Amino acid sequence: MPIPLESNSLKKIYRNRGRTTTAINNFTFSVKDKGVFSLLGRNGSGKTTFVKVSTTQLTPDEGYVKVFGKDVVSDEKELRHMISLVPQESRPFPHMNPYEHVYLFQKMNGNSREESKDRAESVIGLLGMEDFAKVECVNLSGGQKQLTMVAMALSLDTQIYFLDEPTIGLDIITRKRVWNAINKYRNAGKSILLTTHYLDEAAILSDEIGIVSHGNFIKQGTLDELRSGLEYDTRVALRGRTDIKEFEQYGRVFSDESGMVLFTNQENVEKILSDSFVRKERIEVGPIGLDDVFISLVGEDIEVD
Amino acid sequence: MIKELYRTITSLTALNGFIPLWRRPIALIAVISTPFSFLFFIYLFGGPSKILIGAIGGILFTIVNASTMLQTDLLFYKLDLKFQQVVASTPINPLVYMFGLATGNIVFTLPGLAIFMGIIVFQSHIGIIQILAVIGTLITTWVIFSMFSFLVSTRVREMRDIWPISVMFSIIFGVVPPIYYSISALPGPVQYFAYIVPTTWAAILLKGIVIHNFAGVAIPALVFVVEMFCVLAFTSRFSDWRLNRT
Repeated sequence: MPIPLESNSLKKIYRNRGRTTTAINNFTFSVKDKGVFSLLGRNGSGKTTFVKVSTTQLTPDEGYVKVFGKDVVSDEKELRHMISLVPQESRPFPHMNPYEHVYLFQKMNGNSREESKDRAESVIGLLGMEDFAKVECVNLSGGQKQLTMVAMALSLDTQIYFLDEPTIGLDIITRKRVWNAINKYRNAGKSILLTTHYLDEAAILSDEIGIVSHGNFIKQGTLDELRSGLEYDTRVALRGRTDIKEFEQYGRVFSDESGMVLFTNQENVEKILSDSFVRKERIEVGPIGLDDVFISLVGEDIEVD
Repeated sequence: MIKELYRTITSLTALNGFIPLWRRPIALIAVISTPFSFLFFIYLFGGPSKILIGAIGGILFTIVNASTMLQTDLLFYKLDLKFQQVVASTPINPLVYMFGLATGNIVFTLPGLAIFMGIIVFQSHIGIIQILAVIGTLITTWVIFSMFSFLVSTRVREMRDIWPISVMFSIIFGVVPPIYYSISALPGPVQYFAYIVPTTWAAILLKGIVIHNFAGVAIPALVFVVEMFCVLAFTSRFSDWRLNRT
């Protein structure tokens, strides 16, 4: 059985009116098992371009992408039977309701009236959209519109789903509905490539995570693997402190809006705690999280979108 | 295969035609107002004897205008809604996608076309063969300009660019060609240009079928069909279904 996703030396350059922009410089990685694979990166890091290449929207300039062994260029016709997509910043038709979107999308893909109806009802139930399924999209909230696009993509019975920031703009309850749907699809043996800015979402949903930066694929692994790859194991948040130099002896220090964040090791924590206790400062200590891994690998300051 | 193709086209037709028409019937007025205004002025200044020419021009203008305006819908679906991306990642063929949406687009023109056809039949007393020939000419016109719209929509990168482009093509394809008048009325160089535009041949064909009872339609029909295949080949070669240019 071919592996779900493989990208080798992928390069993609945009050319627009004489200007060139390298969106992907080098993406080399493979997703060997089915499940949820999340791509994390800042804006402009190449996530969406990768999704577009993988779903046959863009042709690579160099290298290749294979989805379940099918090349995105030479096997594009076969590949399109295997994939489903939620594009970034996509919107539903204003004059149609969510049910019509899913139903017509099913028919568009060749399903009978009965199949389309069953599938539409099933996905709308899965995502908890019954209350607004028959309301014209022009009258829906941003989150409900986004959910409509997710419902369309999930209604197709494909092997892999490319979800490009599917939960952007959704409130936490609605996000959890999407998470439940993703988990159900994962448990049903499907593969999902998810791009997201929400690190908690990636941490909760992903079997594996890939981190990208400035068009390069930096690292991949499970959350534990990514954590263990770091030099430090503990995160200390020091509120109101700005004297970075004083803490550099303990590890890596970043400033953020409310003070400083220090990545350090457990043996230093006691010293830092006692010092802060004496000064009556607020301090938070915890294990390194995905956001810390992300910052550490991407190597930029703490402001993540 | 045929069944699946039928489902794809009918669902796209519903999406771009029947559903918006059902919910916003006012859009009908926008489609038929211009050709009926032209007909009104032709009647006003030319008298009852020119109504037939006005109706032939009106039926052709309606098709050309609606098919040219399809490029706006296609671009909106591509750039704003990102719907083309969703479809392009499925097995749906780009030309099937285009024809499905183009069929939906033509739904808005059906009342206008029916009225113009009624006037043509009432004024010229044409038979069933001529009616079928008129419909065939209109379908070919629709195919040519829908494909052209698709080609344009796949090449344009920004939504704001399409407004001037669609107006320009509407003039080139709907106003300059001799739809409402004889080609000899055009100045010399414009006549040569008009002969390149498929609308000219469609107009010559329609007038030949309706007014001259098929006299002299063989060459225009041949040129018209050749033009259709040229546009088909051109569209297949140069349209960019992928997003490399956007």
